[in-house]
Amino acid sequence: MLILPMVVFAGLPFIVDSESSYLVFFLFVTFINITIVQGWNLVGGYAGQVSLGQHAFFGLGAYITAITWLRGLTGYFDPLAMILSGFGAAILAIGVGIPLLSKLRGDYFALGTLGLGEILRVIFTQGGTLTGGSVGLLLPSRVYESMKPYYFISLGLAVFATIAIYFIIKSHIGKALIATRDDEVAAEASGIHTLKYKVLAFSISAFLTGLGGSLQAYYLFHIHPAGFFSLKWALYPILMSIMGGAGTILGPVIGAFFLTGVFELVNIWLPEGHPIFSGGLIVVVMLFLPNGLIRLRLKRVIGKKGERRGDK
Amino acid sequence: MSDFLSFHTLSQILINGLLFGTMYGIAAIGVSLIFGTMQIIFIAQGSLIILAAYISFWLFLLLFIDPFLSILIIVPIFMLLGGGLYQVLFRKVAYAGKNPSLLIAFGFMIMLENLISLLWTPNTRAIKTSYTAYGIEMLGLQVSFTRLVAFVLAMLATVVVTFFLKRTLMGKAVRAASEDLGAATMIGIGTHWVNSITFSIGIGLAGLAGVATAMTFPFDPYFGFIFSLKALIAVAFGGIGSVWGALVGGILLGVIESLGFFFLSGVWADGISYVVFLLVLMLKPEGLFSGFKRIA
Repeated sequence: MLILPMVVFAGLPFIVDSESSYLVFFLFVTFINITIVQGWNLVGGYAGQVSLGQHAFFGLGAYITAITWLRGLTGYFDPLAMILSGFGAAILAIGVGIPLLSKLRGDYFALGTLGLGEILRVIFTQGGTLTGGSVGLLLPSRVYESMKPYYFISLGLAVFATIAIYFIIKSHIGKALIATRDDEVAAEASGIHTLKYKVLAFSISAFLTGLGGSLQAYYLFHIHPAGFFSLKWALYPILMSIMGGAGTILGPVIGAFFLTGVFELVNIWLPEGHPIFSGGLIVVVMLFLPNGLIRLRLKRVIGKKGERRGDK
Repeated sequence: MSDFLSFHTLSQILINGLLFGTMYGIAAIGVSLIFGTMQIIFIAQGSLIILAAYISFWLFLLLFIDPFLSILIIVPIFMLLGGGLYQVLFRKVAYAGKNPSLLIAFGFMIMLENLISLLWTPNTRAIKTSYTAYGIEMLGLQVSFTRLVAFVLAMLATVVVTFFLKRTLMGKAVRAASEDLGAATMIGIGTHWVNSITFSIGIGLAGLAGVATAMTFPFDPYFGFIFSLKALIAVAFGGIGSVWGALVGGILLGVIESLGFFFLSGVWADGISYVVFLLVLMLKPEGLFSGFKRIA
């Protein structure tokens, strides 16, 4: 069932003109979103720890890519730079995650990650020549040749993220994370080292977000604190993940497709109202669809079964 | 060095920090109260403060209502708004765990922030009354009149809220619910009712803080989020759920920032407060003054 869309996505740039096609651009944006949404999904959806600071990892990944390139350590589309970006973000997540996640109260984690993103924005705005201050860094954009590599790398990242999350959830790590989310005290009592698993989930989520930031850096060629440490990058993954169905494998993918589409449309028709609309959408989704699109069908099936058995 | 940092300069920095910090403090009280009963982080508090600041700005500009008088209009409206917000946005998810209400507050904040910027443009605004520039000389220190009044108002509001919580039946119900929701429900305290009251007080305080901000500092639509963050930092300093702790936490934050602005450049000073915030969350999440608090 999933092979068909993969074949279509892989073949698309050969059918339409990838340089002028809006569809290719749209899918590129969607695939980056899927990558970071899956990251949030692991820590927020499966482990139940709401991170409000994914923009810290997105921005950090982008800056690592840009700085290593400008210093001549890596090149254009260098896998080394992308992996470094991911690991840089993951290491930051471990450093911040251990103290913040060792508390039983999840609120401290949410607040702390929010503070983290803001600290990073300040640091990178004040970073002097290394980060280019508030103007940011300009990468040599003359190397740009075609949209195709961007499209395929973003597709690869999205597939990688989804498959990675799938296998993590199938393994004992996933079971431990879900147990922690559902009842942390009970999980701890059953011998699960919850802190270890929470930090692991957080660092994997940071790794994926850093990869997304790295690719976005290669695409924009201009890395500046306001754009890459924008709260947007903290907001979108949460929104898309919950809209589609946090704590499921395919829910976030559906959410990313749906909301990227909605945001692109709003951006075209109502550019000024865009943030008002997305803010309002979160409220409406949380009030009326707190379990996500993917669970709509599930719920109906369960509901029918329940009626038949005479449950109230 | 002694020329550069005299006792006089230092006291001037401290008093500025104190007066600025009370703004954070009063925002933090609202956040702390709402957290106490509902266990949610009401991150939109700062944006509501900025909304109040803009309304006060309009009242002054269009209807020539003095900011001090506009407190009498804005605070009651905001109290109603607070109760309404609870009923419309949070009642449904009050028992659905923390994440939905946190995200609703987040979405509401984004919406409000951009609505404000659409209505009033993103330009920085400030209210200039005949007495804005007026300063008072106290013990050789320059104190701005409006900031001093804002400070007094904040203190008064804190006293009123404390009185309400300690001495009235409603206030006792709010405290009971924040201490043990299950037990409070059992003795007949309606939780939705208590939550509505808490929201009314919290948002009412946001209205007051907004007018005080409009009188004393220039503001823009996106200042709200920073304000929320600062309020949360103050709450973290003071310990969640404590009214005076939040006020003292806010003042402490104001002083830290004021010192930061003097010794470091502006943007770094912002960073310092976040770093202190992260450290407090990591090392002493129950608040800095928790040692003195009696066990409830």
